[in-house]
Amino acid sequence: MKGEVRDPREVIREEMVMRDKILQILQDGPKTIPEIAEALGCPPYEVMYWVMGMRKYGQVAEAEEDGDYYKYRAAAGEGN
Amino acid sequence: MNYDVLVVGSGIGGMESALKLGDMGYKVLVVEKEPSVGGKMILLSKVFPTLDCASCISTPKMAATTHHPNIDVLVYSEVEQIKRGQDGQFIVKVRKKPTFINQTLCTGCRQCEMTCNVAVPDQYNSDMVARRAAFIAFPQAVPKKAVIERAGTSPCSFTCPAGIKAHGYVALVRSGKYKEAFDLILETTPVIGSLGRACYAPCEGECTRGDLEGSLPIRKLKRFVADTRYRENAGPDGKPVAAPSGKKVAVVGSGPAGLTAAMHLARKGHRVKIFEAAARPGGMLRLAIPSYRLPKDVVDRDIRNVTDLGVEIQTGVRVENPAALKDKGFDAVFLATGTAGTRRLRVAGEDLAGVVSALDFLRDVNLDKEISFKDKTVVVIGGGNVAIDSARVAVRLGAQKVIVQYRRSRDEMPAHDWEIAGAEQEGVEFRYLSAPQKFIGKNGKLTEIECVKMELGKPDSSGRRKPVPVKGSAYRMPADVVITAVGLTPDTGCLAGTLELNQNGTIAANPETMQTSVPYIFAGGDVVSGPSMIVNAVGQGKRAAFFIDRYLNGEDLAGVAFEEKLPVVDKQTVINRQQSYRNLAPVPGREILKPGVSDFTEVEPPLTEEEARYSAGRCLDCGVCSECHQCIAACPADAIDMSMREETREVEVSSVIVSTGFKLFDAHLKPRYGYGKFKNVITGMEMDRLLAPTRPYNTVLRPYDGKVPDNIAFVLCTGSRDCTVDNPLCSRVCCMYSVKHNQLIMGALPLADVTVYYIDIRAFSKGYEEFYRQAGAMGANFVKGRVAKIDEKADGNLILHYEDIDNGGQLQKAEHDLVVLATGLLPNTEVFKLFSGEKLAADDFSYVKEVDEDINPGQTSIDGVFVAGTASGAKDIPDSILHAGSAAAQAAAYVERIRMSK
Repeated sequence: MKGEVRDPREVIREEMVMRDKILQILQDGPKTIPEIAEALGCPPYEVMYWVMGMRKYGQVAEAEEDGDYYKYRAAAGEGN
Repeated sequence: MNYDVLVVGSGIGGMESALKLGDMGYKVLVVEKEPSVGGKMILLSKVFPTLDCASCISTPKMAATTHHPNIDVLVYSEVEQIKRGQDGQFIVKVRKKPTFINQTLCTGCRQCEMTCNVAVPDQYNSDMVARRAAFIAFPQAVPKKAVIERAGTSPCSFTCPAGIKAHGYVALVRSGKYKEAFDLILETTPVIGSLGRACYAPCEGECTRGDLEGSLPIRKLKRFVADTRYRENAGPDGKPVAAPSGKKVAVVGSGPAGLTAAMHLARKGHRVKIFEAAARPGGMLRLAIPSYRLPKDVVDRDIRNVTDLGVEIQTGVRVENPAALKDKGFDAVFLATGTAGTRRLRVAGEDLAGVVSALDFLRDVNLDKEISFKDKTVVVIGGGNVAIDSARVAVRLGAQKVIVQYRRSRDEMPAHDWEIAGAEQEGVEFRYLSAPQKFIGKNGKLTEIECVKMELGKPDSSGRRKPVPVKGSAYRMPADVVITAVGLTPDTGCLAGTLELNQNGTIAANPETMQTSVPYIFAGGDVVSGPSMIVNAVGQGKRAAFFIDRYLNGEDLAGVAFEEKLPVVDKQTVINRQQSYRNLAPVPGREILKPGVSDFTEVEPPLTEEEARYSAGRCLDCGVCSECHQCIAACPADAIDMSMREETREVEVSSVIVSTGFKLFDAHLKPRYGYGKFKNVITGMEMDRLLAPTRPYNTVLRPYDGKVPDNIAFVLCTGSRDCTVDNPLCSRVCCMYSVKHNQLIMGALPLADVTVYYIDIRAFSKGYEEFYRQAGAMGANFVKGRVAKIDEKADGNLILHYEDIDNGGQLQKAEHDLVVLATGLLPNTEVFKLFSGEKLAADDFSYVKEVDEDINPGQTSIDGVFVAGTASGAKDIPDSILHAGSAAAQAAAYVERIRMSK
């Protein structure tokens, strides 16, 4: 793993900034965490915090599996 | 209120004790620090060895506890002190934390959560995912009520004299909710675009991020919000106006105080008319601030926020007798005429043609009077912002030379540094330590200034070193124009007979209510405070409107609180919330400054949308809740109550059961395992969350990249049976919860390999050995050997170095894609701080000591105080329940014994 591991509080706080960027990326169709991470240029473990936070509050939902990974799609109002 | 028994903590032990006592007919008070009862058990996936769902077992007990007729439950509350009274009863102080949501009205619909703009780690999901500042602890929470986490008022919002929710609009910009941000600021003031350009931004001086790389550009974010909204040219904005009250209010002056008061009064349904002496409205915003700093179309658009509400503005009307307005049918008057007068220099020749006051000069320019300084030398006298504004305007009017003459040095100059630097870059010259002695003219027209050099003497009453003339240093300086900018004064001479005035000419007004010596006349802004900041005037206008409304409604003014804020959050506490910070540099300020500039184009470029989002994203959420008020708008039950405050209650109880549970070992304390550094190293509790139906992810995934793991290792005895971390005890549950995880993973991920690294497996209770053997039979690989260290590969996989005891003690390496550290249990030592007067004894390992464990389980060192569950030592759930039952029986026996003795 390359680069710094940031304090989770700092990464989690950024969900509000990253949310629109992630939804923009998902407009092209469902993507895995590594795919989203590559598109954003951010580490996948940070993207996990953002995507899972968005999933919890209904902005994304899991779609089909792609090998060892799930793909996530943009959603509206499907929070859990 | 009196109770038979106090139960501290509502985990499975506390609930069991309370339920048994309640069933026996005793009155029980349960105090729980979290917003829900249930303790740690409700957060587990399943229980061993039966693999029953933890929620299915916990929730009936949670509901029974909260609804039992003999049990009162105080959630989100903390016991502060337990002390025995003279009659042998215990006096208990309980602090009820404010939830900021009316718990009776809240329906648990989560609308507040869904709309909240602050993301923080979810402690109920082991910080693996975000929750919101407004939150329901977890889906099975009992009571299922939301709370808002507020650590206090964020420093930016706290320091704003106008009470603008700076943190709130920053959080909304961060979320891309620009319209909502605009509406939030509009709750306070209509002059949003003006403040976004010309506010001195005391908020930025208090920003906690200022202690890191530099504060947020809070003012520029406000400008971004206003510009975005105004570009849409939409309106009217903000809250709807109330039904007409039938009352009329006259506002005298259309500056920031008058406009703000007018807006608030109009919203209350009052008919408001503004009288403005100048030809156009806006007060100092229009007349004093140069348009390269604040374009006048922005002032116009700000004013529309007021006139859209039906407020009428009459310009060119000078009100000299506010009392007469009463006769014209106005029920109240608000005077906000600002500081329209200028202080004289008292220097000979001040009345020569060519000598003007800064305010007159700026007013003429701002009202589009044709002025040209072509080929002229202009000297501006003064060192404040008005002086610098005048100098920079003079440059734009084509002056050949512009000189600012100031009697002290640059260090003492009251003008903002960036304004001075801007003036310098535009070609303004500065003559420090120099003062005019006389203005000399020819044919009544200024030609030169007789000046004297100054030096700094001892500090004067203002604390600044007093300038003293240097003998024999007089010299002359040619000048075509002199602009005097040595202070502004209120123009209140005409009010002297009507209102009580202060010595400096300002209106004497009650600082709380802004009411003057005449009850129906209120005053605010610079005419009361003297020259000040726009944002101060806004604050006074808002305050005055609040009390004018009360006055009009015949309500008391005295002793009424106006906008009480929570105490400000300590900045160091905020910074300490994180172990590390990424350097997030502020967006550089880059004013467009050209020597000899000749137009009034705005010098400060706006933030781009990307810069605005980035800048807002640097916010540290000091107060946690940002006060963005989105939850208030979203709550269908109208349950949000930001005025809620902490309460302390005192109750009397006969007996106490402490069931304060345990703490989990912090895996960071075993750095060789890389927890916190290697994202695929997680704890047992985190694996329980991943396996629970209310899990943070959609299934069991690696935190590193969301991969479904297929080769998972468990490292037992992490932080237990380990003298290197000062915990020699066995935690009694780690072996079996790991075996539980093995079985659940093999059920959820049938293709996954599971390896358990252990010292020995402690399967001591009924059915445990069979449960362990079953995991082996399902395919779990048990390796006897302690893991020495863990390394991480580039793909996030982990290399475990371990001693393979069963195969000759060789040092081996194995690769896994997820590692679970079976972290041990530790005592919760907070419980010992609760007791005053008598000491609750601890055992050798800092658990609550049971003084007669074999014969009287649950009995502590204090007569009448009993311990239930893991507060007295590591236990599994069945043992905790059994122990809690015995504590309940002990407490019941104690209550009866003291009854009989009476």
